[in-house]
Amino acid sequence: MPTILTPEEPTVRPVPEPKPEERLRRDRPSLGDWLDLRLGWWGFVRKNLDEPMPPGVGWWQTLGNLLLTLLVFQFVTGFALAMYYSPSPTDAYRSVKHITEEVTLGSFVRGLHVWGSTVIVIVTVLHILRVFFWGSYKKPRELTWVVGVIIFNLILAFSFTGYLLPWDQKAYWATVVGTRIAGTVPVLGHALMLLIRGGEEVGALTLTRFYASHVMLLPALLMVFTGLHLYLVRRHHIAGPVLPQKGRPTPFYPVQLFKDAVVVLGGMGIVVYLALAFPPALEAMADPSGTDFAPRPEWYFLGLYELLKIMPAGYEVVATLVIPGGISLGMLLLPWLDRSPSRHPARRQWIIVLGTAIILLIAIMTLKGILETPPPGHGSGHAGLPVTLDRPLA
Amino acid sequence: MKNSHDQADASLDGQLKPTRRRLLGWLVAGINLVVAGVVVGPVLGYVASPLRRKAKSEWVPVLDEAELPVGQTREASFVLRIRDGFAETDQKYSVFLHRTPDRVMAFDPACTHLGCRVKWMGDKDRYFCPCHGGVFNADGKVVSGPPPKPLEEYPVKVEDGRIWIQKKV
Ligand code: HEM
Ligand code: FES
Repeated sequence: MPTILTPEEPTVRPVPEPKPEERLRRDRPSLGDWLDLRLGWWGFVRKNLDEPMPPGVGWWQTLGNLLLTLLVFQFVTGFALAMYYSPSPTDAYRSVKHITEEVTLGSFVRGLHVWGSTVIVIVTVLHILRVFFWGSYKKPRELTWVVGVIIFNLILAFSFTGYLLPWDQKAYWATVVGTRIAGTVPVLGHALMLLIRGGEEVGALTLTRFYASHVMLLPALLMVFTGLHLYLVRRHHIAGPVLPQKGRPTPFYPVQLFKDAVVVLGGMGIVVYLALAFPPALEAMADPSGTDFAPRPEWYFLGLYELLKIMPAGYEVVATLVIPGGISLGMLLLPWLDRSPSRHPARRQWIIVLGTAIILLIAIMTLKGILETPPPGHGSGHAGLPVTLDRPLA
Repeated sequence: MKNSHDQADASLDGQLKPTRRRLLGWLVAGINLVVAGVVVGPVLGYVASPLRRKAKSEWVPVLDEAELPVGQTREASFVLRIRDGFAETDQKYSVFLHRTPDRVMAFDPACTHLGCRVKWMGDKDRYFCPCHGGVFNADGKVVSGPPPKPLEEYPVKVEDGRIWIQKKV
């Protein structure tokens, strides 16, 4: 493994850095030295900036860093939202309305959080796809992948719990259906649903449970697993292209870091644009007695939603548990399912074909769901019914 | 079994016998387990508290009997004062009432598939679920779509000219 990596020989040799002991003996250390002698962080920073990037690493490897940045932004905007939010059925809706309509820049901050979550899901999927097609989950990076799969599920849990918080019709009914999905688990289903809802019905305790998870439990878990992920990424170094390319590795700084920065700028630009151009909506307040609302989940769960439509009676557990659970389990076990030592797609055809087929099916189902589900704002009334009425009545 | 700790650090505390070292190691593990258990156990019980809540049943009048002719289906709504966790609220509910020649049936509007609220379409004589295409007939039986069971029926009684249903809250 190469130690110090410089793209080309510098023309002027830098003065070698004094050893820590020497610097310690100086009478008047600079503030930087003083701190470094105590924190010892400069070596750590240096090591990371010098991290070797195999030739061929480039734009595809910027997605992880973009995710990291977007997550930090979610944390910041989430903190801001929490300051004006109140998690109770009487106040939640009003507080979100207050944020959106009265707080300075409230609609924008909320928009950043809402659109940020959508962009994070998209970027996460892209990141997973790139790792999948590059075969970077193979030895010795199995656990980097496994931790990644856990992170992916945490992100979906974030979105599911966050969706309820505004306590509008959309939030309420998507959660009624979403939590009932847990109820379809054989034997334990009902208990599981009670635990998630905090009672028989979606109500005050569901809201506090979702809130506590969204702002305490999930962020804590996400931080632990993201930290572990990054540690593992550094420990095993970036895998590089499937076929090793000619040339020497280059240090992470400045070329790759610059690409990372460009992508972060672009990603943030997209989130800011979306937040400004499509400010977050708020529908009518949740009405548990209403019978004229067509629930719809967040768009990336629409594939699952479509799957539920085509499952015959009595087999819903296939759509709610077997298929999603199977995909999750398959993802977790991927490094052991695909045991071929080669990362080249041609050498692991079956997993590439199977993976691509599953990805395409999910994409098609999601697209179908998006096309068949009325856009927000048409929620009340007979949304979704035309589809049903086209069917012959048996 | 010797692990690397036992070997690597043996020089540092040569006074301690390996058995004693290991015993202390186990004690530390045990103490940590107890400490963690003291926090985690009660918290788990606390989180699981909703499992212990028993539902009560209440009879509520929902409609005057005269307003439901034979063969008809109607939606009625009623309000119950319920305890929703920390809150006491007046919760509004709906129920579908259907009168056959010999009795009155009352259906919970929650679709038995995944709980969306079904809608009664009188002209089609069917309930339609807006979510995944569940369809039920006037007797609450599944006609098509994914719902696994008929609509849930509430116990009904007719007293003093009013229709009462029994709801668990
Ligand atoms: C919060 C979400 C995540 C963050 C912040 C994150 C961050 C990163 C970063 C910074 C890298 C190195 C640069 C790159 O390849 O883009 C990386 C690599 C990697 N990530 Fe993630 N990641 C996340 C989610 C995931 C998920 C969901 C998976 C898989 C299911 C995953 C699997 C991997 C693997 C296997 C590598 C190593 C790639 C290689 O060595 O070429 N990550 N991640
Ligand atoms: S909830 Fe009614 S069909 Fe799925």
